[in-house]
Amino acid sequence: MTKKQYVMIKGTKDGLVLKLDDKCAYSDLLEELRNRVSESELEGLSQVQVDLGYRYCNESELKELTAIIHSSPNLHISKIQSDVLTVEECNERVLEKQSETYIGIVRSGQVLEAKGDLVVIGDVNPNARVIAGGSIYVLGRLKGIAHAGANGNREAVIAASWLEATHLIIDDKMELMTDELTILSEQPEMECAYLHTKGFIAIDRLQELRIIRPQLSSFRGGI
Amino acid sequence: MGEAIVITSGKGGVGKTTTTANLGTALALQGKKVCLVDTDLGLRNLDVILGLENRIIYDLVDVIEGRCKTHQALVKDKRFEEGLFLLPAAQTTDKNSVTPDQMKKLVEELKRDYDYILIDCPAGIEQGYKNAVAGADRAIVVTTPEISAIRDADRIIGMLEQEEIEPPKLIINRIKSNLMNDAEALDVNEITTHLSIDLLGIVMDDERVITSSNKGEPIVMNPANAASLGYRNIARRILGESVPLMSISQTKSGFFGKLKSLFAK
Repeated sequence: MTKKQYVMIKGTKDGLVLKLDDKCAYSDLLEELRNRVSESELEGLSQVQVDLGYRYCNESELKELTAIIHSSPNLHISKIQSDVLTVEECNERVLEKQSETYIGIVRSGQVLEAKGDLVVIGDVNPNARVIAGGSIYVLGRLKGIAHAGANGNREAVIAASWLEATHLIIDDKMELMTDELTILSEQPEMECAYLHTKGFIAIDRLQELRIIRPQLSSFRGGI
Repeated sequence: MGEAIVITSGKGGVGKTTTTANLGTALALQGKKVCLVDTDLGLRNLDVILGLENRIIYDLVDVIEGRCKTHQALVKDKRFEEGLFLLPAAQTTDKNSVTPDQMKKLVEELKRDYDYILIDCPAGIEQGYKNAVAGADRAIVVTTPEISAIRDADRIIGMLEQEEIEPPKLIINRIKSNLMNDAEALDVNEITTHLSIDLLGIVMDDERVITSSNKGEPIVMNPANAASLGYRNIARRILGESVPLMSISQTKSGFFGKLKSLFAK
């Protein structure tokens, strides 16, 4: 009986793909991975994508796998992917996709946080802070601090009926609404802020959003 | 069963204590039984404004710590027959000697005997504020037409909205009519839309508010005064009457002022 291989190595144009068997015991997999990594005869550094298939690995198991692969000086993991998610991770993703609505006034000193998009119907007063993993839409006056794309989403935008925020933050870029910028935007009515491809925060008319960020539209189908 | 109203502002020096003294007096003038409670422990001055300083025997902390009965600590204002009482704050202890639960119990007790309990809140958002708000059914936020006072009012309104009390009402104090008419200061409309709460009333700035406070006589006792009228109107609104907002331009500007405004057009 020939022993089945638990670790398959494939070469692609983006580097190596390590496909790990998802049926065998975890300990067997580790052992074989260790052997294969140590006997590999590679030259130079190559990027590795690890494919776990339908195996779920928790944080410490992932660390163990990473350590084994990185024990070879020639391998560097670029990505680990798995076809399975825990319920928790799934809920997290649903939350990130969701849009939350807050009706009321966010007042000085208050912080409003959402995992996904955030819709505020009411004003955001000076010194109040609204934070969202996705985009922020304010139906009212935005006069406080807005932080969109807080988890690294650089596509996120900040749109408001009246954009007069003191601080605009998208991902890790911050822009202070100094007088200069306010003059640039002429009229604070119906505007949106987005991260320009050159890496700074730009402000434009709300109507331009369909050209700047067409992917934000979730509406499908004909009219 | 009476109603407890806390008068607060966040920022100091906007006229919480003056407002408390004047609204209390105005309500007493309307024939209501009013008790004023000073919760600014360590920095009391409601008694001074009312001219009752030298009649204090016991204070709030004495009541809470059981050294005297509640009625023993209340100072009666002799200008009103059984209409106006003051529970003075302690001057020697700090704000941490009272807890919100104790305040709540005390206010509940006072509510049985009085129509209105006005609680004068200390500045800030710490322990003293929490104590003052604990027993209240309603809140009045005092602000002035200054950006700093409005910021603090916004903060305090946000905190009051978290409490289980009615939505707070706004008083804009110390309005300088000439500045507001010239659009040099924020106007009443701007302030109310910014804070988006109901306006309870406005009070004009008047030097006589200070001089009368110094004499221990709340300005509201003098019927012929713009500031006094503002307080009287607010008291009537608290009682449920609908009183139109007084216009700011109503104050006399004199002959030269009129001449100037004529040329300004």
